[in-house]
Amino acid sequence: MNKLTAKIFVIAALALLLQTAQAFDFGQELRNAARELQKPGGSANLGGYSEEEEVAIGRQIAGNLLGAAPLVQDKKLQKYVNNVGRWVAIQSERPDLVWHFGVIDSSDINAFAAPGGYIFVTRGLYKLLNDEAELAGVLAHEIGHVISKHHLKILQQGKMLDLGSKLLGKQVGDDKIGRLIGSGAEIVSRSLDKGAEFEADRIGVVLAARAGYDAYGLPGVLQEIGHTAADDSSVALLFKTHPHPDDRLAKLGEAMDSRFDGLNGQTAAKRLYKIK
Amino acid sequence: MKFYLLFTLFIAGAAQAAESGTTVKTDSVRSAPFSDAKIITTLPAATRVEILKKDGGWYQIKSPQGSGWIRMLSLRRGDVKAATGPISGLASLASGRAGTGKIVATTGIRGLNEEELKAAHYDEKQIALLESSTSSRVEAQKYAAKARLKARQIDYLAEPGASK
Repeated sequence: MNKLTAKIFVIAALALLLQTAQAFDFGQELRNAARELQKPGGSANLGGYSEEEEVAIGRQIAGNLLGAAPLVQDKKLQKYVNNVGRWVAIQSERPDLVWHFGVIDSSDINAFAAPGGYIFVTRGLYKLLNDEAELAGVLAHEIGHVISKHHLKILQQGKMLDLGSKLLGKQVGDDKIGRLIGSGAEIVSRSLDKGAEFEADRIGVVLAARAGYDAYGLPGVLQEIGHTAADDSSVALLFKTHPHPDDRLAKLGEAMDSRFDGLNGQTAAKRLYKIK
Repeated sequence: MKFYLLFTLFIAGAAQAAESGTTVKTDSVRSAPFSDAKIITTLPAATRVEILKKDGGWYQIKSPQGSGWIRMLSLRRGDVKAATGPISGLASLASGRAGTGKIVATTGIRGLNEEELKAAHYDEKQIALLESSTSSRVEAQKYAAKARLKARQIDYLAEPGASK
Protein backbone atom coordinates (compact mmCIF):
# COMPACT_ATOMS: atom_id res chain seq x y z
CA MET A 1 0.00 0.00 0.00
CA ASN A 2 1.48 3.32 -0.99
CA LYS A 3 1.21 6.47 1.10
CA LEU A 4 -1.75 7.92 -0.76
CA THR A 5 -3.94 4.84 -0.56
CA ALA A 6 -3.03 4.56 3.14
CA LYS A 7 -4.20 8.15 3.68
CA ILE A 8 -7.46 7.55 1.82
CA PHE A 9 -7.99 4.41 3.81
CA VAL A 10 -7.53 6.24 7.12
CA ILE A 11 -9.90 9.02 6.10
CA ALA A 12 -12.53 6.52 5.03
CA ALA A 13 -12.17 4.63 8.27
CA LEU A 14 -12.55 7.83 10.29
CA ALA A 15 -15.66 8.82 8.34
CA LEU A 16 -17.15 5.41 8.97
CA LEU A 17 -16.32 5.68 12.67
CA LEU A 18 -17.98 9.09 12.94
CA GLN A 19 -21.09 7.79 11.26
CA THR A 20 -21.37 4.85 13.60
CA ALA A 21 -20.73 7.09 16.57
CA GLN A 22 -23.65 9.25 15.56
CA ALA A 23 -25.99 6.36 15.02
CA PHE A 24 -24.98 4.89 18.33
CA ASP A 25 -26.71 6.62 21.23
CA PHE A 26 -23.82 6.70 23.60
CA GLY A 27 -25.83 8.26 26.42
CA GLN A 28 -28.43 5.55 26.21
CA GLU A 29 -25.77 2.85 26.24
CA LEU A 30 -24.21 4.37 29.33
CA ARG A 31 -27.56 4.47 31.07
CA ASN A 32 -28.18 0.84 30.14
CA ALA A 33 -24.80 -0.17 31.48
CA ALA A 34 -25.40 1.75 34.70
CA ARG A 35 -28.79 0.13 35.13
CA GLU A 36 -27.23 -3.26 34.50
CA LEU A 37 -24.62 -2.58 37.16
CA GLN A 38 -27.19 -1.47 39.72
CA LYS A 39 -29.01 -4.78 39.58
CA PRO A 40 -27.55 -7.17 42.12
CA GLY A 41 -25.62 -9.66 40.10
CA GLY A 42 -26.33 -7.58 37.04
CA SER A 43 -22.67 -6.81 36.75
CA ALA A 44 -22.29 -10.50 35.93
CA ASN A 45 -22.97 -9.56 32.34
CA LEU A 46 -20.04 -7.20 32.42
CA GLY A 47 -17.78 -9.54 34.35
CA GLY A 48 -15.63 -10.49 31.41
CA TYR A 49 -14.84 -14.03 32.55
CA SER A 50 -16.72 -17.16 31.68
CA GLU A 51 -18.24 -19.13 34.54
CA GLU A 52 -15.59 -21.82 34.10
CA GLU A 53 -12.83 -19.25 34.39
CA GLU A 54 -14.47 -17.65 37.42
CA VAL A 55 -14.77 -21.02 39.17
CA ALA A 56 -11.16 -21.91 38.35
CA ILE A 57 -10.02 -18.61 39.86
CA GLY A 58 -12.21 -19.08 42.96
CA ARG A 59 -11.08 -22.67 43.46
CA GLN A 60 -7.45 -21.63 43.55
CA ILE A 61 -8.14 -18.82 46.02
CA ALA A 62 -10.28 -21.11 48.19
CA GLY A 63 -7.49 -23.71 48.19
CA ASN A 64 -5.01 -21.05 49.26
CA LEU A 65 -7.28 -19.90 52.08
CA LEU A 66 -7.69 -23.49 53.25
CA GLY A 67 -3.91 -23.73 53.27
CA ALA A 68 -3.91 -21.01 55.94
CA ALA A 69 -6.93 -22.26 57.87
CA PRO A 70 -8.18 -25.80 57.18
CA LEU A 71 -11.77 -26.96 57.49
CA VAL A 72 -13.02 -27.80 60.96
CA GLN A 73 -12.86 -31.59 61.15
CA ASP A 74 -16.54 -32.25 61.55
CA LYS A 75 -18.21 -33.73 58.51
CA LYS A 76 -21.74 -33.20 59.87
CA LEU A 77 -21.04 -29.51 60.47
CA GLN A 78 -19.69 -29.06 56.93
CA LYS A 79 -22.66 -30.86 55.40
CA TYR A 80 -25.02 -28.73 57.48
CA VAL A 81 -23.61 -25.40 56.28
CA ASN A 82 -23.71 -26.67 52.69
CA ASN A 83 -27.38 -27.61 53.01
CA VAL A 84 -28.28 -24.21 54.49
CA GLY A 85 -25.99 -22.24 52.19
CA ARG A 86 -27.12 -23.90 48.99
CA TRP A 87 -30.77 -23.38 49.90
CA VAL A 88 -30.11 -19.66 50.33
CA ALA A 89 -28.04 -19.51 47.13
CA ILE A 90 -30.93 -21.08 45.19
CA GLN A 91 -32.85 -17.87 45.93
CA SER A 92 -30.23 -15.82 44.06
CA GLU A 93 -29.69 -15.24 40.34
CA ARG A 94 -27.19 -18.05 40.25
CA PRO A 95 -29.09 -21.05 41.64
CA ASP A 96 -27.24 -23.54 39.48
CA LEU A 97 -23.73 -22.50 40.26
CA VAL A 98 -22.06 -25.30 42.24
CA TRP A 99 -21.78 -23.51 45.57
CA HIS A 100 -19.34 -24.64 48.24
CA PHE A 101 -19.53 -23.68 51.90
CA GLY A 102 -17.12 -24.44 54.70
CA VAL A 103 -16.36 -23.66 58.34
CA ILE A 104 -12.65 -23.02 58.76
CA ASP A 105 -10.61 -23.56 61.87
CA SER A 106 -9.84 -20.09 63.12
CA SER A 107 -10.84 -18.33 66.32
CA ASP A 108 -11.13 -15.09 64.34
CA ILE A 109 -14.61 -13.74 63.72
CA ASN A 110 -14.92 -13.46 59.95
CA ALA A 111 -16.45 -14.80 56.77
CA PHE A 112 -15.00 -14.93 53.29
CA ALA A 113 -16.13 -15.27 49.71
CA ALA A 114 -14.12 -16.18 46.64
CA PRO A 115 -15.38 -15.95 43.04
CA GLY A 116 -17.32 -18.85 41.64
CA GLY A 117 -19.28 -19.66 44.79
CA TYR A 118 -16.67 -20.53 47.44
CA ILE A 119 -17.81 -19.32 50.87
CA PHE A 120 -16.29 -19.71 54.31
CA VAL A 121 -17.13 -18.76 57.87
CA THR A 122 -14.67 -19.08 60.71
CA ARG A 123 -15.27 -21.25 63.73
CA GLY A 124 -15.14 -18.03 65.78
CA LEU A 125 -18.05 -16.50 63.88
CA TYR A 126 -20.00 -19.74 63.82
CA LYS A 127 -19.83 -19.93 67.61
CA LEU A 128 -21.53 -16.55 67.91
CA LEU A 129 -24.61 -17.74 66.05
CA ASN A 130 -27.86 -18.24 67.94
CA ASP A 131 -29.98 -19.82 65.24
CA GLU A 132 -30.04 -21.04 61.64
CA ALA A 133 -31.50 -17.75 60.38
CA GLU A 134 -28.34 -16.00 61.56
CA LEU A 135 -26.17 -18.54 59.71
CA ALA A 136 -28.34 -18.05 56.62
CA GLY A 137 -27.92 -14.27 56.91
CA VAL A 138 -24.12 -14.46 57.13
CA LEU A 139 -23.88 -16.88 54.19
CA ALA A 140 -26.33 -14.73 52.22
CA HIS A 141 -24.09 -11.67 52.68
CA GLU A 142 -21.18 -13.64 51.19
CA ILE A 143 -23.41 -14.99 48.40
CA GLY A 144 -24.15 -11.32 47.71
CA HIS A 145 -20.44 -10.68 47.10
CA VAL A 146 -20.25 -13.60 44.69
CA ILE A 147 -23.32 -12.72 42.62
CA SER A 148 -22.21 -9.08 42.47
CA LYS A 149 -18.69 -10.25 41.53
CA HIS A 150 -17.12 -7.82 43.95
CA HIS A 151 -13.84 -9.70 44.34
CA LEU A 152 -13.66 -10.71 40.70
CA LYS A 153 -13.81 -7.05 39.71
CA ILE A 154 -10.89 -6.24 42.00
CA LEU A 155 -8.89 -9.08 40.50
CA GLN A 156 -9.64 -7.78 37.06
CA GLN A 157 -8.55 -4.27 37.92
CA GLY A 158 -5.30 -5.33 39.49
CA LYS A 159 -3.32 -8.48 39.41
CA MET A 160 -5.54 -10.12 36.89
CA LEU A 161 -4.75 -7.65 34.12
CA ASP A 162 -1.45 -9.38 34.13
CA LEU A 163 -3.17 -12.71 33.90
CA GLY A 164 -5.24 -11.39 31.03
CA SER A 165 -2.17 -10.63 28.99
CA LYS A 166 -0.72 -14.02 29.82
CA LEU A 167 -3.91 -15.63 28.64
CA LEU A 168 -3.84 -13.67 25.41
CA GLY A 169 -0.28 -14.69 24.79
CA LYS A 170 -0.90 -18.39 24.94
CA GLN A 171 -3.99 -20.49 25.01
CA VAL A 172 -4.45 -21.86 28.51
CA GLY A 173 -7.13 -24.19 29.74
CA ASP A 174 -9.43 -23.39 32.64
CA ASP A 175 -7.46 -25.77 34.81
CA LYS A 176 -4.41 -23.58 34.45
CA ILE A 177 -6.18 -20.30 35.10
CA GLY A 178 -6.36 -20.99 38.80
CA ARG A 179 -2.68 -21.83 38.96
CA LEU A 180 -1.79 -18.55 37.33
CA ILE A 181 -3.30 -16.83 40.37
CA GLY A 182 -0.49 -18.30 42.41
CA SER A 183 -0.40 -18.49 46.18
CA GLY A 184 -1.94 -16.19 48.73
CA ALA A 185 -5.53 -15.57 49.71
CA GLU A 186 -5.40 -11.94 50.76
CA ILE A 187 -7.99 -11.14 48.11
CA VAL A 188 -10.70 -12.69 50.32
CA SER A 189 -9.99 -10.19 53.06
CA ARG A 190 -9.28 -7.32 50.74
CA SER A 191 -11.23 -4.21 51.73
CA LEU A 192 -14.00 -3.71 49.26
CA ASP A 193 -15.43 -0.26 49.00
CA LYS A 194 -18.01 0.43 51.68
CA GLY A 195 -20.77 0.49 49.10
CA ALA A 196 -20.03 -3.13 48.18
CA GLU A 197 -20.38 -4.22 51.81
CA PHE A 198 -23.64 -2.34 52.26
CA GLU A 199 -24.88 -3.85 49.00
CA ALA A 200 -23.99 -7.37 50.17
CA ASP A 201 -25.85 -6.66 53.43
CA ARG A 202 -28.98 -5.62 51.55
CA ILE A 203 -28.76 -8.69 49.30
CA GLY A 204 -28.10 -10.84 52.38
CA VAL A 205 -31.29 -9.95 54.26
CA VAL A 206 -33.40 -10.39 51.12
CA LEU A 207 -31.93 -13.79 50.16
CA ALA A 208 -32.37 -15.12 53.71
CA ALA A 209 -35.95 -13.86 53.80
CA ARG A 210 -36.65 -15.37 50.36
CA ALA A 211 -35.40 -18.69 51.75
CA GLY A 212 -38.10 -18.47 54.42
CA TYR A 213 -35.89 -17.33 57.26
CA ASP A 214 -36.35 -14.43 59.64
CA ALA A 215 -34.89 -11.46 57.74
CA TYR A 216 -33.21 -10.17 60.88
CA GLY A 217 -30.62 -12.95 61.16
CA LEU A 218 -27.82 -10.93 59.60
CA PRO A 219 -28.64 -7.73 61.58
CA GLY A 220 -28.71 -9.91 64.71
CA VAL A 221 -25.17 -11.13 64.03
CA LEU A 222 -24.02 -7.57 63.31
CA GLN A 223 -25.46 -6.50 66.69
CA GLU A 224 -23.49 -9.29 68.32
CA ILE A 225 -20.23 -8.40 66.55
CA GLY A 226 -20.84 -4.69 67.06
CA HIS A 227 -20.53 -4.93 70.78
CA THR A 228 -17.42 -7.05 70.66
CA ALA A 229 -14.58 -4.90 71.88
CA ALA A 230 -12.87 -3.18 68.96
CA ASP A 231 -9.50 -4.02 70.47
CA ASP A 232 -10.31 -7.71 70.59
CA SER A 233 -7.89 -9.39 68.19
CA SER A 234 -10.57 -11.79 66.96
CA VAL A 235 -12.29 -8.96 65.10
CA ALA A 236 -9.16 -7.03 64.08
CA LEU A 237 -9.18 -8.13 60.45
CA LEU A 238 -12.96 -7.89 60.10
CA PHE A 239 -13.06 -4.36 61.53
CA LYS A 240 -10.16 -3.32 59.36
CA THR A 241 -11.74 -4.50 56.13
CA HIS A 242 -15.42 -3.75 56.75
CA PRO A 243 -17.39 -0.69 57.82
CA HIS A 244 -18.17 -0.86 61.55
CA PRO A 245 -21.20 -3.05 62.32
CA ASP A 246 -22.97 -0.01 63.80
CA ASP A 247 -22.69 1.76 60.44
CA ARG A 248 -23.85 -1.33 58.60
CA LEU A 249 -26.84 -1.61 60.95
CA ALA A 250 -27.68 2.04 60.38
CA LYS A 251 -27.64 1.53 56.59
CA LEU A 252 -29.69 -1.64 56.88
CA GLY A 253 -32.15 0.19 59.10
CA GLU A 254 -32.68 2.79 56.39
CA ALA A 255 -32.97 0.22 53.62
CA MET A 256 -35.20 -2.24 55.50
CA ASP A 257 -37.33 0.33 57.28
CA SER A 258 -40.73 -1.36 57.68
CA ARG A 259 -40.40 -3.46 54.53
CA PHE A 260 -40.27 -6.73 56.46
CA ASP A 261 -43.11 -5.95 58.85
CA GLY A 262 -45.53 -8.81 59.04
CA LEU A 263 -43.26 -11.03 56.99
CA ASN A 264 -42.57 -13.68 59.54
CA GLY A 265 -39.72 -16.01 58.93
CA GLN A 266 -38.27 -18.96 60.73
CA THR A 267 -35.25 -18.83 62.96
CA ALA A 268 -34.93 -22.64 62.88
CA ALA A 269 -33.08 -22.23 66.17
CA LYS A 270 -33.46 -25.86 67.18
CA ARG A 271 -31.74 -27.03 64.05
CA LEU A 272 -28.57 -24.96 64.43
CA TYR A 273 -25.76 -27.50 64.50
CA LYS A 274 -23.80 -27.21 67.71
CA ILE A 275 -20.12 -26.96 67.05
CA LYS A 276 -17.86 -29.03 69.27
CA MET B 1 -28.66 -22.19 104.03
CA LYS B 2 -28.50 -24.32 100.94
CA PHE B 3 -31.56 -22.55 99.57
CA TYR B 4 -30.00 -19.18 100.28
CA LEU B 5 -26.90 -20.17 98.36
CA LEU B 6 -28.94 -21.35 95.41
CA PHE B 7 -30.92 -18.15 95.50
CA THR B 8 -27.73 -16.05 95.42
CA LEU B 9 -26.46 -18.06 92.49
CA PHE B 10 -29.74 -17.52 90.68
CA ILE B 11 -29.59 -13.76 91.25
CA ALA B 12 -25.99 -13.63 90.05
CA GLY B 13 -26.92 -15.59 86.95
CA ALA B 14 -29.86 -13.32 86.20
CA ALA B 15 -27.72 -10.24 86.58
CA GLN B 16 -25.23 -11.64 84.12
CA ALA B 17 -27.87 -12.52 81.57
CA ALA B 18 -29.36 -9.03 81.51
CA GLU B 19 -28.01 -7.20 78.53
CA SER B 20 -28.11 -3.55 77.85
CA GLY B 21 -28.61 -1.49 74.78
CA THR B 22 -28.88 2.10 73.65
CA THR B 23 -31.43 3.60 71.29
CA VAL B 24 -29.88 5.20 68.22
CA LYS B 25 -33.03 7.02 67.18
CA THR B 26 -36.37 8.06 68.56
CA ASP B 27 -38.79 5.16 68.37
CA SER B 28 -41.92 3.78 69.95
CA VAL B 29 -42.03 1.01 72.48
CA ARG B 30 -44.98 -1.26 71.73
CA SER B 31 -46.98 -3.84 73.63
CA ALA B 32 -46.09 -6.61 71.17
CA PRO B 33 -43.47 -7.21 68.44
CA PHE B 34 -45.70 -5.84 65.66
CA SER B 35 -45.73 -2.46 63.97
CA ASP B 36 -49.45 -2.00 64.68
CA ALA B 37 -49.31 -3.00 68.34
CA LYS B 38 -50.28 -0.44 70.97
CA ILE B 39 -47.66 2.21 71.74
CA ILE B 40 -46.60 2.18 75.37
CA THR B 41 -44.08 4.98 75.26
CA THR B 42 -41.67 6.70 72.93
CA LEU B 43 -37.97 6.70 73.72
CA PRO B 44 -35.64 9.43 72.48
CA ALA B 45 -32.27 8.56 70.96
CA ALA B 46 -29.48 7.65 73.39
CA THR B 47 -31.79 6.07 75.96
CA ARG B 48 -30.26 3.17 77.77
CA VAL B 49 -32.44 0.12 78.12
CA GLU B 50 -32.27 -3.44 79.28
CA ILE B 51 -32.70 -6.05 76.56
CA LEU B 52 -34.75 -9.05 77.63
CA LYS B 53 -35.14 -11.01 74.42
CA LYS B 54 -35.28 -10.94 70.66
CA ASP B 55 -38.14 -11.82 68.35
CA GLY B 56 -37.52 -11.36 64.66
CA GLY B 57 -36.79 -7.69 64.08
CA TRP B 58 -37.76 -6.71 67.60
CA TYR B 59 -36.14 -6.54 71.02
CA GLN B 60 -38.17 -6.80 74.21
CA ILE B 61 -36.81 -4.12 76.50
CA LYS B 62 -37.18 -2.69 79.96
CA SER B 63 -36.67 1.01 80.66
CA PRO B 64 -37.72 3.38 83.40
CA GLN B 65 -40.04 5.08 80.89
CA GLY B 66 -41.81 1.85 80.08
CA SER B 67 -41.28 -1.70 78.92
CA GLY B 68 -42.27 -3.45 75.73
CA TRP B 69 -41.00 -4.11 72.23
CA ILE B 70 -38.81 -1.86 70.07
CA ARG B 71 -37.45 -2.33 66.56
CA MET B 72 -34.08 -4.09 66.58
CA LEU B 73 -32.53 -1.53 64.26
CA SER B 74 -33.51 1.39 66.51
CA LEU B 75 -31.23 -0.06 69.14
CA ARG B 76 -27.58 -1.02 69.44
CA ARG B 77 -26.57 -3.67 71.84
CA GLY B 78 -23.99 -2.23 74.14
CA ASP B 79 -22.66 -2.57 77.59
CA VAL B 80 -23.85 -0.09 80.15
CA LYS B 81 -21.17 0.10 82.73
CA ALA B 82 -21.40 2.91 85.24
CA ALA B 83 -17.62 2.78 85.23
CA THR B 84 -17.45 4.10 81.67
CA GLY B 85 -17.62 7.55 83.21
CA PRO B 86 -19.34 10.71 82.11
CA ILE B 87 -19.69 9.71 78.48
CA SER B 88 -23.12 8.28 77.96
CA GLY B 89 -25.53 7.18 75.35
CA LEU B 90 -24.73 7.99 71.78
CA ALA B 91 -21.49 9.66 72.69
CA SER B 92 -20.06 6.48 74.09
CA LEU B 93 -21.39 4.50 71.18
CA ALA B 94 -19.70 6.84 68.79
CA SER B 95 -16.41 7.24 70.56
CA GLY B 96 -15.95 4.02 72.44
CA ARG B 97 -17.53 2.04 69.65
CA ALA B 98 -18.92 -0.23 72.32
CA GLY B 99 -15.35 -0.83 73.28
CA THR B 100 -16.28 -2.02 76.72
CA GLY B 101 -18.29 -4.84 75.26
CA LYS B 102 -17.81 -8.46 75.87
CA ILE B 103 -14.53 -10.05 75.03
CA VAL B 104 -15.03 -13.11 72.93
CA ALA B 105 -13.17 -15.97 74.50
CA THR B 106 -9.90 -16.62 72.81
CA THR B 107 -9.29 -20.28 73.24
CA GLY B 108 -5.72 -20.33 72.07
CA ILE B 109 -6.57 -21.31 68.53
CA ARG B 110 -4.72 -18.94 66.31
CA GLY B 111 -6.48 -16.21 64.43
CA LEU B 112 -6.13 -15.36 60.80
CA ASN B 113 -4.19 -12.25 59.95
CA GLU B 114 -3.25 -10.65 56.66
CA GLU B 115 0.31 -11.99 56.72
CA GLU B 116 -0.97 -15.53 57.05
CA LEU B 117 -3.40 -15.00 54.22
CA LYS B 118 -0.66 -13.60 52.01
CA ALA B 119 1.63 -16.52 52.71
CA ALA B 120 -1.11 -19.13 52.27
CA HIS B 121 -0.35 -22.05 49.99
CA TYR B 122 -2.83 -24.04 47.99
CA ASP B 123 -4.06 -27.21 49.64
CA GLU B 124 -5.61 -29.67 47.19
CA LYS B 125 -6.58 -32.17 49.91
CA GLN B 126 -8.60 -29.51 51.69
CA ILE B 127 -10.33 -28.49 48.46
CA ALA B 128 -11.25 -32.13 47.86
CA LEU B 129 -12.62 -32.31 51.40
CA LEU B 130 -14.60 -29.11 50.85
CA GLU B 131 -16.07 -30.46 47.62
CA SER B 132 -17.01 -33.74 49.26
CA SER B 133 -19.57 -31.88 51.41
CA THR B 134 -21.17 -29.94 48.58
CA SER B 135 -24.96 -30.11 48.49
CA SER B 136 -26.92 -30.39 45.28
CA ARG B 137 -29.91 -28.20 44.60
CA VAL B 138 -32.28 -31.08 45.33
CA GLU B 139 -30.49 -32.02 48.54
CA ALA B 140 -30.72 -28.45 49.81
CA GLN B 141 -34.40 -28.21 48.89
CA LYS B 142 -35.14 -31.41 50.79
CA TYR B 143 -33.24 -30.19 53.82
CA ALA B 144 -35.13 -26.88 53.77
CA ALA B 145 -38.46 -28.68 53.54
CA LYS B 146 -37.62 -30.59 56.73
CA ALA B 147 -37.71 -27.31 58.63
CA ARG B 148 -40.78 -26.20 56.66
CA LEU B 149 -38.82 -23.42 55.01
CA LYS B 150 -40.70 -22.12 52.00
CA ALA B 151 -39.24 -19.90 49.30
CA ARG B 152 -40.90 -16.50 48.89
CA GLN B 153 -40.68 -13.75 46.33
CA ILE B 154 -39.16 -10.61 47.78
CA ASP B 155 -37.66 -7.75 45.79
CA TYR B 156 -34.12 -6.58 46.41
CA LEU B 157 -33.77 -3.50 48.58
CA ALA B 158 -32.89 -0.19 47.00
CA GLU B 159 -29.81 1.63 48.18
CA PRO B 160 -30.93 4.18 50.80
CA GLY B 161 -31.03 7.66 49.33
CA ALA B 162 -30.60 6.43 45.77
CA SER B 163 -33.08 7.86 43.32
CA LYS B 164 -35.39 5.34 41.81
